[in-house]
Amino acid sequence: MNKDEIILSIENLKDRRLRSFLSILSILIGIAAIFAIASFGLGLTNYVDSLAEEAGTDKFYIQTKGTGLIGDETFYLTEDDIDFVSKENEVREVAGMYAKAGEIEYKDQKKYSLVIGLDPEKKEFIDEVFALDVERGRHLKEGDLRKVFLGYNYLLENKIFKESLKVGDKVTINSLEFEIVGFYEEVGNPQDDSQMYLIPEAFESLYPKSEGRYAFVMGSAEKGINMDSFADNLEDDLRKFKGQEEGKEDFFVLTFEDALETFGSILTIINGSLLLIALISIFVATVNIMNTMYTAVIERTKEIGVMKAVGAKNNDILFIFVFESGFLGMFGGILGVGLGYLISSAGGQIAASAGYALLAPIFPWYLTLGCIMFGFLVGAGAGILPARQASGLAPVDALRYE
Amino acid sequence: MAKKKSNDKMSVKGRNKHPKTDLPVSKHKSKSKEKHKHIIELRDVWKIYQMGDVEVPALKGININIHEGEFVAIMGPSGSGKSTAMNMVGCLDIPTKGDIYLDSKNIAQMTESELAQIRGQKIGFIFQQFNLITTLTALENVMLPMVFQDKPREERVERAKVLLEMVNLGDRINHKPTELSGGQQQRVAIARSLANDPEVILADEPTGNLDTNTGTNVMEFLCKLNNKESKTIVMVTHDEEVAEFAERIEILRDGEIVQSKKGKNHDAACNKDKGGRRR
Repeated sequence: MNKDEIILSIENLKDRRLRSFLSILSILIGIAAIFAIASFGLGLTNYVDSLAEEAGTDKFYIQTKGTGLIGDETFYLTEDDIDFVSKENEVREVAGMYAKAGEIEYKDQKKYSLVIGLDPEKKEFIDEVFALDVERGRHLKEGDLRKVFLGYNYLLENKIFKESLKVGDKVTINSLEFEIVGFYEEVGNPQDDSQMYLIPEAFESLYPKSEGRYAFVMGSAEKGINMDSFADNLEDDLRKFKGQEEGKEDFFVLTFEDALETFGSILTIINGSLLLIALISIFVATVNIMNTMYTAVIERTKEIGVMKAVGAKNNDILFIFVFESGFLGMFGGILGVGLGYLISSAGGQIAASAGYALLAPIFPWYLTLGCIMFGFLVGAGAGILPARQASGLAPVDALRYE
Repeated sequence: MAKKKSNDKMSVKGRNKHPKTDLPVSKHKSKSKEKHKHIIELRDVWKIYQMGDVEVPALKGININIHEGEFVAIMGPSGSGKSTAMNMVGCLDIPTKGDIYLDSKNIAQMTESELAQIRGQKIGFIFQQFNLITTLTALENVMLPMVFQDKPREERVERAKVLLEMVNLGDRINHKPTELSGGQQQRVAIARSLANDPEVILADEPTGNLDTNTGTNVMEFLCKLNNKESKTIVMVTHDEEVAEFAERIEILRDGEIVQSKKGKNHDAACNKDKGGRRR
């Protein structure tokens, strides 16, 4: 590799600033899109991985079928069902969960969100499943009939209510007054972060007909077992216990692993489609760079003739043009990473302020380096055909060109 | 991506002389020595262009011998085939038929890459339109032929500076071609032609784009190269006055050599001032 041939390439680009800039712009957009999409994709993947680590893959859920909305009462799980599940082999711990939509009122402001009823004796297990800790105050305990525990967003000003709530404040839920005892830390999505938690007795007093009708059961299994066959067995046994036919059961068992996998594969599909769109713009950029380089070759035909006359071999000319075009791509890559970074950071902040803190982009060094290298390769690749044309020019014809 | 070559003996020798004390640095022996060796030989060279169905012969079996250290002008009207002849001598093109020997090697048989090597090492070009690279400075233009021979950077810079001083452009080395006059550009081109210390300088209408005074000045430089540096010079021109600077004039008409004569001005112009021009 000859340093001075590289310098020649850069000189040529400087000489055609506007056209170089336009080519750089076209590839910049593609690289910026790829960088932004990948930084969010990697951030989400990271989040999913950390969830799996914190909550653990030994967790499972039993959910009723129906509309799929939590709080839909068409189907439900009973106390007996939960009892039965807790006695199954390899089940360590089980907790049923009430859930219904409710209205919360504070200083004449009314909001609607999900009210959850949870057994305070199982709070450690529930925290583990949710992968959450108490942010402020304390958990609910036995006998907290007029106490409520809230999601993170109630701590924020101008989020749910104008004011930020604090421990000890009073709120009205479905026309009954409750005192706040504590708040969960942030989950990163607005639904989970605006939930209200009550002890089961309090929940039943708000929704008299709900006693013994659980929307959701969460559990954990023995460590190290095969969760797939565990879930299959559990579903079989519970169906027989409930006397339902195979394929017509009104519930399903979902392992945490499954949930993450589903989430992960949806993520991959979304990311993949977005990247594909970004790649189309890279393809357009490639065509654009090729066009620029073909024009450059025609424009500089005479110059190529001169260089050949003073001893440039075909490979020297090829090298100069491929590098020139590679540099276009690389500058596009560098600027694209810069722009992508700005877009991602801004996007991340907007998502966070909208309550989706889990949509946090990450910027690993290999993403930056990879995008710049990719830019260079795209540019160099686009330059190969024009460069071959340049290097193949007959010196005598090239010199005669006006 | 040229490979390192071990063919730089000329550059190594070239460094033996102190650049400031004398004109730069040629390995070639003084002119007073033997002149018998043929450095260029064209033997029955034909060049036929295909124009549709018609074959147009540009050269019809010409024979030219040029000795080492000679100054030869190829003269003729436009369309006489003189440019074609020069392209052949300059390894820019290969003949349809016949042989061309450069330093006893038959270039008619060579590949483009070999021709490029030969051009870079043995031939220096001076063009009517100067043909400098506009994006590069005078210094970089002079360095360019050395870039393609993989000479180390310090050597290139040093030699390019010496050559530009020789053509009295020591104070213009960082100027781009557009910031130089025609005569100055042609002098940069002369300096460039000497970059790899070639044996042969090929000048294609070197004064064609210059006024008379500047043209004469350029011709004096060519004389000096021939006289002091013992460069073999082959010049193509249609201008009789310019041709008279050469030792020998070959007159070409319709692709054939019709006359060979001695240049009238050569002795007076090229041997008048043995000291050469100094700044």
